[in-house]
Amino acid sequence: MTTTPTPPHSLRTAAEPDTVPDPPPGAPDLHETDGHQPLRRDGDLLLTGRARFVDDIAPRGLMHAAILRSPHPHALIRGVDATRARERADVEVVLTGADAVDLATPLPHFFEPSIVGCRTTEFRCLATDRVRWVGEPVAAVVATSLAAAEAALDDIVVDYEPLPAVLDADEALREDAPVLFEEWGDNRLGLFPFAEGDAAAKIAAAPHVIRDELRVGRQHVAPMETRGYVAEWEPGGRLTLWASTQNPHPLRTNLATTLGVPEDRVRVVATRMGGGFGHKFNGYGEEPLVCLLSRLADAPVKWIETRKDCLLVGAREFTHRFEVGFDDDGVVLGLSDRIVGNIGCLAPWGGWSMTFPAGMTFPGPYRIADYAIESVPVVTNKAPWNGFRGYGKEQAAMALERIMDLVAEHRGIDPAEVRRRNFIPPEAFPFWTAAKHLDSGEYAAALDKALALAGYDALRERQAAALAQGRHLGVGIGFELTPEGGDFAGSFVRGFDTSTVRVHPSGAVSVLTGVTSPGTGNETSIAHLVAREFGIAVEAVGVTQGDTDSCPYGFGNFTSRSLATGGAAAVLAARELRERMADAASALLDADAADFEFRDGAVVSRTAPETSLTFAELAETIYRRGLAAPGLDQPLLEVTRIDLPHNFHHVPDDQGRFSAYPSFPYSAHVALVEVDAETGVVEVLEYSAIDDCGVVISPGFVAGQLYGAIAQGIGGALWEEVPYDEDGAPAAETFKHYLTPRAPDLPSFRLEHQHTPSPFTLLGTKGAGESGVGGAMAALLNAVNDGLRPLGVHAHRVPLTPPVVLDAIVSGGAP
Amino acid sequence: MIRTHLRYHRPDTPDDAAALLAEHHGRVAVLAGGSQLLPRMHRGEVDLDHVVDLRGLGLRAIERTGGRVRLGAMVTYDDALASALLAEAVPLLPRVARGVTGGRQLTGHATLVGALCHAFPGTDMPGALSALGATVELHGPDGPRECPVDEFLLGAQSIDRRPGEFVAAVTVDGVARSGYCKVKHATGSWPIATASAIEDGDALTVTLGAVQARPLRIVIPDPTRSAVDDAVAAAVTAPWTDVLAPGDYRARIAPVVARRALTELREGAHA
Repeated sequence: MTTTPTPPHSLRTAAEPDTVPDPPPGAPDLHETDGHQPLRRDGDLLLTGRARFVDDIAPRGLMHAAILRSPHPHALIRGVDATRARERADVEVVLTGADAVDLATPLPHFFEPSIVGCRTTEFRCLATDRVRWVGEPVAAVVATSLAAAEAALDDIVVDYEPLPAVLDADEALREDAPVLFEEWGDNRLGLFPFAEGDAAAKIAAAPHVIRDELRVGRQHVAPMETRGYVAEWEPGGRLTLWASTQNPHPLRTNLATTLGVPEDRVRVVATRMGGGFGHKFNGYGEEPLVCLLSRLADAPVKWIETRKDCLLVGAREFTHRFEVGFDDDGVVLGLSDRIVGNIGCLAPWGGWSMTFPAGMTFPGPYRIADYAIESVPVVTNKAPWNGFRGYGKEQAAMALERIMDLVAEHRGIDPAEVRRRNFIPPEAFPFWTAAKHLDSGEYAAALDKALALAGYDALRERQAAALAQGRHLGVGIGFELTPEGGDFAGSFVRGFDTSTVRVHPSGAVSVLTGVTSPGTGNETSIAHLVAREFGIAVEAVGVTQGDTDSCPYGFGNFTSRSLATGGAAAVLAARELRERMADAASALLDADAADFEFRDGAVVSRTAPETSLTFAELAETIYRRGLAAPGLDQPLLEVTRIDLPHNFHHVPDDQGRFSAYPSFPYSAHVALVEVDAETGVVEVLEYSAIDDCGVVISPGFVAGQLYGAIAQGIGGALWEEVPYDEDGAPAAETFKHYLTPRAPDLPSFRLEHQHTPSPFTLLGTKGAGESGVGGAMAALLNAVNDGLRPLGVHAHRVPLTPPVVLDAIVSGGAP
Repeated sequence: MIRTHLRYHRPDTPDDAAALLAEHHGRVAVLAGGSQLLPRMHRGEVDLDHVVDLRGLGLRAIERTGGRVRLGAMVTYDDALASALLAEAVPLLPRVARGVTGGRQLTGHATLVGALCHAFPGTDMPGALSALGATVELHGPDGPRECPVDEFLLGAQSIDRRPGEFVAAVTVDGVARSGYCKVKHATGSWPIATASAIEDGDALTVTLGAVQARPLRIVIPDPTRSAVDDAVAAAVTAPWTDVLAPGDYRARIAPVVARRALTELREGAHA
């Protein structure tokens, strides 16, 4: 299924490329989805436990760091006495915030809030005079063993003067609330408005109006591998940091700034990652801290985040207060949602800005001319956020999908039909909203496929039959639009990336790329793309990522952009090399360069197939005879290119519209649950989904991402939460407190795919990875509420834990 | 990371074990399966210098003793699941063991007695062993001591274990007819409420676990729905609150869990 919208008038500066370049003659069809893919690189190592992660890095003489963290949600630091810790024989270094001030500059933000008009402030790697959240680093110890380092923390005495703390976002917005950053005057970080038309007037004039509220609790990424860093300084002053990070190059730049070291003398190696999801965006104080500790200890130093510390990092605590006006047919006439995000304390980490997509994603897949969305990030004395897969987009999915179901319930129309009546139709693309230029989509088709896959009509019959027996089955639809590939100029969150392709004399090919893999397998896909361009075996292509000494500058891994940027750049570089090699073949074999095709490991004349060289022979000949033999004029078999999705609109148009995201994959979900009305326990019985991320390069990896996204979405909808106690401390410290789904909690997922290529990316891809989290959360939210319908109640508090569901049943559903 | 230098002891006799425990009282823990103790040590939640491993004492038998069944301190969940004696004489215990999560890594080394001694309200064993009228056999510097389980369990994570003592075994009544119900949030969740229903002659009891700090044994005079609900509601006076569920939730579902255990007792366990 292909839509072919014409590329729009570009609002970007002239220097930026405008459209997808035309493929050269003989290039493989990049939009082909052949369903084949190579095996995952290093899959054998992973399956047999031989893959190496950051905690496996152990340079000779390694020492270990432990970090003292604030026990108070808000307090002044009146003094730190580390005398006793320093006296311990096995302790090498004790560093306090006051010590560190002269050793490291304030930390660069992952995304500087002032770029988007928000308030900002400075942070150090260790707190100096004030702590604002339980868990904030206050001092650090290096010792000969981790046990000794942790034990020494007990010998550091911090004199705190506790201050009033505020944990709830609504309370933090009150005039009498304790203020975290006094220079701001209040706790509001900023405001992101997204509006078109006149929502208030349309809602006021609408025949039917629903006002309601949806609350989402604080959640956490829960990567299998926590963060970790190993720093080592060479005697000449060169620093190497092995880091479980999603952004090795920006991390290197920031370390150079913070530590005052020339950037070229810093090497960051992003080690193999056991899950990123946004938790490993750079910006953490521990990044320069571990480097500093290593310098002071004059030894390599390792710090690995404990699970308890990992669970400090938050996300997703939002409240939606929405109002929707609609007509008799369930067509939405006007929509408003005031979204408040409890971002915890501000930090240089990459999480607070999830409040931007939370609003920007509205009105999702729906054609709603009049809407007014406000998203307000509010600081509190909880630990800061970092990124969490979905990155706020799941908020729009949950709110919009809940609204569709409420409208359907109100009008007595099937919820699927209400969605069909409100979808943006396929012929409307590309489609502008206030902050999105949507690329392409077949939304109703995707929903209908999901309904068919789920056996939707039969589910409704089973639901009715079960109800007759007193059982509460619920069917929930979730449709998610997932903006991907975002570009935020002024930050290192950029929409382009870089790849180098190098052909060696033996015919081996290296790809060095600025995009990194969180474990998704994009290195395998990039090798596949390059091998396809050269017509050689995928095994002949090596891919290097994450090492700043060898890879071109890149922005790493975020917003499902790897193939649309680094993958596309590698294809462009390979094409340029192929042209050079075809020219050389032309000179060597006396044939027209355009006549050569690259296939089966050889460069072959189309018209005279006996006129050929193997790929390796040609490469070696170019190295051995280039600039010596006639016609072999370009022996440089290395090309570096950048690419990006060609759908960024940074400068607002005359209606104030802009688009920082270029690609818009989507997915349709149908869940069947059973709600135990006596206990509130929800069981997920069946799950079906259709995704459309445009052209698919590696179907297995895309399906793998969708499986993971759905599982993570179900966990977020039903169980995952980090509550805080009345003392302002997080109450979830282990996976017995923070409940992620385990295999028995999930049914087998039925997945199928739809492919609507992006007209704006080289490969037609839109991005796979995040998509599915919000759809799953929305489907579960709706399924549980559908199950509660016969009881006449709603549950609008996520996660829908058994206490929440039973509370709704008992209390009559008031939110 | 375990922060202290630990001395590991593996005594060969109960008296040696008791002597070690007495000598290092306050700085020592008993090690059975270690499934609770070791993670807590790694997280720095317990601060010890010594552990006394019981595996040298041969306490892994499940055996008849008089009219009762005796389980040694080292009996694991896997042992309970494999025991023909328990299946016949005390089917409640394998029934409970089947629902313990953590997979083979846990069931192969976590012990029933260890779970009892951990005495965390959100676990299965305190409630189940209380339902079975267990007697706790301790061994200390003064020799053996027996203690009814309801006296042994003093409160949340609090047991009547005197300096130098360790639990060598528990003995339970043979109870052929029982039913069990456990409600929890998800697979990874600890129990939020459990109920063990026991029929002994004409007497019907339900013992609630995880609902309060200590197990709650309730005599059910009349198995009708309203009578069970009333009896349970009257008995639950101080429901347990933890990070996963507030006390009022436990109070609400306690009658439901009790009824479901009684239903299983009456109708047998479903798949």
